[in-house]
Amino acid sequence: MRVGGVEVGVEVGVEVGAGTGGAGRVPYSRMLSLVDLRKSFGPLLAVDGLSLEVHRGEVFGLLGPNGAGKSTTIGMAVGLITPDSGRVTVNGAGRPTDAEVRRHIGVAPQSLALYDDLSGEENVRFFGRIFGLSGEQLRRRCDAVLDLVGLLPRKKDWVKGYSGGMKRRLNFAVALIHDPPMLLLDEPTAGVDPQSRNNILDLVRTLAQQGKTIVYTTHYMEEASRLCTRVGIMDQGRLLALGTVPELVASKGGKSVVVVSREGAEDELIESDDPVREIARVLGNGAGAGDREVRVERPDLESVFLSLTGRSLRD
Amino acid sequence: MNAVLAIALKDLVLLVRDRANAFFTFVFPILLAIFFGVIFRGSGDGGGKLTIALVDEDNSKSSALLATDIRGDKALDVVVESGEPARPLSRDEGLALVRRGKADASVIIPKGFGEGVGDFMAGGQMKLEGVVPPGRSAEAGLLTGKLNELAFRQMTRGFGDPDEMKQNVNAARKSLAAATGVSPLQKVAFEAMLSSVQNMSETSRRQNDEAAARGEARAADPMAPWRPVDVSITEVKAEREGPTNSFEISFPQGVVWGLMGCVTAFGLSLANERSRGTLMRLTTAPISRQQIILGKALSCFTACVLVQVLLLTTAIVFFSVKVANWPMMIVAVMLSSLGFVGVMMAMAGLSRTEGGGSGMGRAVILILAMIGGGTIPLFFLPPFMQTLSSISPFKWATLAFEGALWRGFTAADMMLPGAVLLGFCVGGFAIGVYAMRWTTRA
Repeated sequence: MRVGGVEVGVEVGVEVGAGTGGAGRVPYSRMLSLVDLRKSFGPLLAVDGLSLEVHRGEVFGLLGPNGAGKSTTIGMAVGLITPDSGRVTVNGAGRPTDAEVRRHIGVAPQSLALYDDLSGEENVRFFGRIFGLSGEQLRRRCDAVLDLVGLLPRKKDWVKGYSGGMKRRLNFAVALIHDPPMLLLDEPTAGVDPQSRNNILDLVRTLAQQGKTIVYTTHYMEEASRLCTRVGIMDQGRLLALGTVPELVASKGGKSVVVVSREGAEDELIESDDPVREIARVLGNGAGAGDREVRVERPDLESVFLSLTGRSLRD
Repeated sequence: MNAVLAIALKDLVLLVRDRANAFFTFVFPILLAIFFGVIFRGSGDGGGKLTIALVDEDNSKSSALLATDIRGDKALDVVVESGEPARPLSRDEGLALVRRGKADASVIIPKGFGEGVGDFMAGGQMKLEGVVPPGRSAEAGLLTGKLNELAFRQMTRGFGDPDEMKQNVNAARKSLAAATGVSPLQKVAFEAMLSSVQNMSETSRRQNDEAAARGEARAADPMAPWRPVDVSITEVKAEREGPTNSFEISFPQGVVWGLMGCVTAFGLSLANERSRGTLMRLTTAPISRQQIILGKALSCFTACVLVQVLLLTTAIVFFSVKVANWPMMIVAVMLSSLGFVGVMMAMAGLSRTEGGGSGMGRAVILILAMIGGGTIPLFFLPPFMQTLSSISPFKWATLAFEGALWRGFTAADMMLPGAVLLGFCVGGFAIGVYAMRWTTRA
């Protein structure tokens, strides 16, 4: 099967979608395949035998704390970093160092990879020309991506005059200029205000609905929960778990915890598979119910990470 | 090719929009060339005028005429007044101007100057005083000659004015009559001469009056055609063995600083791209590293050519610099640009970080520029420094530029600097590309 001029693998299967980016059961083929990747920087083992596959049309979240090896993995996925060992294939067969394969990848790096002394439009146009666009096609794509990220009215302004959120969105637009089928977004919401963050998350959803394959690295678990079809959890260069968010939470997150607080006493933590029944039991348990506060803490990706590593994502 | 051009164009736009870089690349070299050109002009090319503080203590008709002649002389810039409101310079003010370096010399027309003009046929002398700073013998000689020329003009005026001539002749007759050491025979001979002079002057006036009656133009100065010495001045194109204009020295220096600006600006651009993250974008785009490097090289080459053309145009249009050999100049500009693209490539390749590259690069480039003629012209350097300067590409660029400008280089002469600059180009490219293999990928 040929997609976008590149021969791709035809292994098609079924994956269970989850999160808002997922759409239930969807057919898939491999868009990105990482096999047993290893990379060291001197004595530091940044990525240690990582293998995973990203399927066409899914939003894949690579979750882990700072220094987990996410950016190195992205670097190897786009051919920027040469792995010490292992294999990267894009679209089933192509290597990311091949020029033709690179046309199928859009990268929004964690750092704002923009020229401050150029306007937003000039930045997008420049990278468009680098990707081989020209003339009317380039003009149309420029306007389209700037419109998509909401910067069309400010396209003539120099980037140095943009806010942090606007720069993030422009960083995104540049990654989209050549209309790649796969996007690698490295911490796209790092350091932005809540409004811009929501804009970016909406943008990712829009692109996912358009059928783009998105690899999304973040250390914000709620972003991964809201957006991603599947997530891979990394720590210290290793992939600790892989699956949909409900699968991971169910398998690695542990039980819900009913927390009973009493004034002047330590909180009582009750693990339970059925927290509703447990609450009913606590509240129906005799006198003094009025001075108690009862709440449920459900397991989430943070709990998954904690159970896998013994420490918090933010540590 | 589209990608290479896009990178080159983008880098040039960024260079121009970065005010500091644009200033040090395009404006600073011109200012420096003008500054050094003005300094060197004072030390010897003779292209400037002599500034004179003129003091008239006589205030006679003759002194006023002399002052007018001095002020009208094209070789002199004359200061005659000071203060607010302006008043004629006093002797002390004139001297003060010389002491403070505001004037090259002061000329004083002393009291009695006018009488000296009248007495010249009776053995009297016109007296003028000149003041110059110590050690300025050239200026003193120039001033003496110039004042003699102008004073002699006063005498010819006397001959041209019959009334004044009559007064002068009468004064001479009185002096002759009173003279005791002159024999009667000599007195008769002098008397005959004085009568002839007076007669000539009156005949001249009569002829003028008759011509005026006929409606013909009256000669303003009947003695004007009379010139005791006929000096004819012809311009001849000199064989140029050295610069004829101080700006021919300073503008090649400006070129050195312009090229330095290009090298530092573009040499750091790769480190800039790395720290910004844009290098990551470029290296993950469907273009090769060679295209990125070529784009950088093309932008640097273009900037090097532009800065040289800008300096050369400024020198020619505003500072009367003449290019001796245009084809050689084009060759020199191209070779210099290529050589410095190589230097830039080496610097770009070796600069891993913006800060480190900036410090190391600027220091090395500054030293190379200084020993290569950037601050002191090459031919002013002592012999050992001239030998040492051979390691500096700036020396060879300066040599090529000066070769085309005033050294009269032939193609054979241009071979050595050309070959060295091409060597810097190839060597710098090799170092840069090799180093970039490690700095553009992890």
